Amino acid sequence: MEKSIYTPDMTRVIDIEELTSLEKLFTIKSPNGELGHEPGQFVMVSVLGVGEAPISISSSPSRSNGHFELCVRQVGNVTNALHAMQPGAKVGIRGPFGTGFPIEKMRGKDLLFAPGGLGLAPLRSLINQVVDERSSFGRVIILYGTKGPSDLLFRDELDEWVARDDIECLITVDRGDETWDGHVGVITTLFPEITINPRNTIAITCGPPIMYRFVLMELLGKGIPESQIYLSLERRMKCGVGKCGHCQIESLYCCQDGPVFNYAKIKGFEEAL
Amino acid sequence: MNLKVLDKRAIAPLVEALMDDYRVVGPQAKGSKFTFEAVTDPANLRFDYDTTILPPKKVLLPPQERLATFTLQEDLQVKTVLETEPTVLLGVHTCDLKAIQLLDEVFSKDFPDAQYLAQREQTILISLECLSPCDEHSFCKDMGTLTASEGSDIHLTEIDSAYIVDATTEAGEELLARYATVRDATEADMQKLNKELGAKWPKFNYQLDFETAKLPSMLEAAFEHPLWNDLGDRCLACGSCTNVCPTCYCFNVYDEVDMLLTKGTRSRNWDSCQLDEFARVAGGENFREARAARQRHRLMRKGKYIYEKFDELGCVGCGRCIRTCTAKISIVESFNTIHNGKK
Amino acid sequence: MTTNNKVKVAFFDFASCEGCQLTIVDALQTHLDLLDMVEIVQFREAMTEKGEDYVIAFVEGSCTRKCDEERLFKIREQAALVVALGACAHTGGVNALKNVQPSLQDVREYVYGDKADWYETYPTRPISAVIDVDAFIPGCPIDRGEFVKVVKNVLLGKTPGIPDYPICVECKLKENVCLLLEGQPCLGPVTRAGCGAICPTYGEGCEGCRGLIPHPNENAMKDVLDEAGLKLEEIMSRFTMYNAYQKEQIETVEERI
Repeated sequence: MEKSIYTPDMTRVIDIEELTSLEKLFTIKSPNGELGHEPGQFVMVSVLGVGEAPISISSSPSRSNGHFELCVRQVGNVTNALHAMQPGAKVGIRGPFGTGFPIEKMRGKDLLFAPGGLGLAPLRSLINQVVDERSSFGRVIILYGTKGPSDLLFRDELDEWVARDDIECLITVDRGDETWDGHVGVITTLFPEITINPRNTIAITCGPPIMYRFVLMELLGKGIPESQIYLSLERRMKCGVGKCGHCQIESLYCCQDGPVFNYAKIKGFEEAL
Repeated sequence: MNLKVLDKRAIAPLVEALMDDYRVVGPQAKGSKFTFEAVTDPANLRFDYDTTILPPKKVLLPPQERLATFTLQEDLQVKTVLETEPTVLLGVHTCDLKAIQLLDEVFSKDFPDAQYLAQREQTILISLECLSPCDEHSFCKDMGTLTASEGSDIHLTEIDSAYIVDATTEAGEELLARYATVRDATEADMQKLNKELGAKWPKFNYQLDFETAKLPSMLEAAFEHPLWNDLGDRCLACGSCTNVCPTCYCFNVYDEVDMLLTKGTRSRNWDSCQLDEFARVAGGENFREARAARQRHRLMRKGKYIYEKFDELGCVGCGRCIRTCTAKISIVESFNTIHNGKK
Repeated sequence: MTTNNKVKVAFFDFASCEGCQLTIVDALQTHLDLLDMVEIVQFREAMTEKGEDYVIAFVEGSCTRKCDEERLFKIREQAALVVALGACAHTGGVNALKNVQPSLQDVREYVYGDKADWYETYPTRPISAVIDVDAFIPGCPIDRGEFVKVVKNVLLGKTPGIPDYPICVECKLKENVCLLLEGQPCLGPVTRAGCGAICPTYGEGCEGCRGLIPHPNENAMKDVLDEAGLKLEEIMSRFTMYNAYQKEQIETVEERI
């Protein structure tokens, strides 16, 4: 049979874990041995009969073991169908696609992660790889913000990161509740709590569109050079391979040139942020 | 390459013969306009057509096309679909030919597109030299598509009661040898050809006020131009300009299932950056919400983005988007406005 | 065949010509397999049995009387999904033309003559103005293929899949000669697609029965119709034929009664 870039490989969902009322973590068997992804890349996930959607890979290549993880928010037809699935269900996978984080450039550097909400999903892939190769990086700082305590993703891992003395992990929520005795405020309110060496720091951020402008102001305000800031952007995608046109950011294709972009490169693109 | 001569009376028998082995698609009348259609009667072919409503890209990238079929029974299976048909695409003007060359590039670069390429390999292109402009909206002369030295398998130029036939590929030569009754061009034929080619040039006007080589850098500086808001006010966001564009290739992908929800198909259809939904993600954010931003995106693609990716301008000067726009938005006027506003 | 797995559906009608339900009766002849998926428990136009245990309610017609509201509330209470069927239910349709008349009493007398007082009336509204609606199938009448598609999508748990783009897309892909460019009025550029541009395909300009697309550029549409030689009142009458209903109008008309 002829191969087409649009034909997914069928595979199975191994495990489904509910993270929040809106988000579930799907463990999926890699279609052909290992997925072979880099942190920051995405796959096109098919629910046959319903459609296909781009989902960033949430697991670290260092923990792949023949499967990978997707953190999926229930927000459209495909993700609704995924949420209705039980372990053992079949899904289609294409990819991995796109440009991931330049991990080689990050070795030896201090890393500042600033995910907001679901933005932790793609960053977790990189964070866990860094954790697994902890000695080859400098400081690891994670500033994570969500709307409320019930929106926090990967709570076990957050606890682990907070508990480790070689990771500085600060968490905030926009609005607290009776269960929350931590920091309250938008993500930018965490930045005054840390001091960094900007020249040796690489910052990585991902979150809802509205967040970037404010987080970037903080990062630049800390003196981090533009070329040391990486962002992962979300766009509509139908092909994942630079053809269908939906994900274009001016002349760039988010699916190929991104989803991870260097801020120095993307900042001149009005449509980006 | 030896040029041949095909008498006009030999066209119908040639097409008849081709129809035995190929789907032959060529320009035919539809009301007051023309369209590329599969030929059922060679007498309906209209080589004197001006332009067509949709460009011939529809043969290579059909408006709706199946990509895969699947079953929804216990063991879900998915199967690639490549629907191809040996086709002779007849009477393609050189602007559209240039556009097909660009599409070839788009669909073979990086991740080759099996569906497009499969049909492309099965398609023989016979192009037609334009001896006069389609109408006042053509700006092929500006875009350098007024003639073509490559891209098709056979190129035809009308001389009186015959066509000069230039088979530029092996496939073209084979087709001629097998199906056509032609004779070698004589010195007299060559003189006629040169006369036609010399006479056509002045009949075409330049419409742009500048050299097209300037287009990418000119647009680079025009991102905040007030023109975009003006276009946004006038644009109906109907998507016609992109649907009729020979170089637009954006598509949507969707699944359909049968009534019993046992099997289905995944297909793609033409999509348009002008439509409201095009850049909206599932979460609701629309990254090109304003019509002004969408028109800017279209013109930027034509004059800058595609050039940056493929080294060719994304506009071939066919003028279809101008003709089709009920709001009278003109790419020529728009480019000139940008140019003249910043001399 | 067991009926256990089938989804129970019911059809209801309010102020309408029942043409949409007729289209469904028609669709049931050509798509027999529809009945493998759903069980119709109530359909006044097609059967006498009446069940009240429906899950999906298809409602044709607009709400034109206060006393209709109670019936709609009951439907809403029973049905997990309420689908507005056709222009009258979806946008108010032609029934809403009475809303733009100077006086509702005049309308009543025009229609019912000296029996006018026997008939209750109030400003026409789409059913979404009375109850929450989960999906709509637009058109006057509905397109049967689209009805089948929506049923399938809803059964799959998907959004209904009604296009958000205008008729021009479908019309252009059919390579119809553009009526507007030939000087004929057509609302294709601002009207929701899904009908296959059926009217323009047969040479009739679109009258907007499927309602407007999201974010239509109405001013530009009016400019184009003006360019096509239409007088202002002709432009307005084309715009209001199927799309006369405006929430604000209802409020002002109600004050006038």
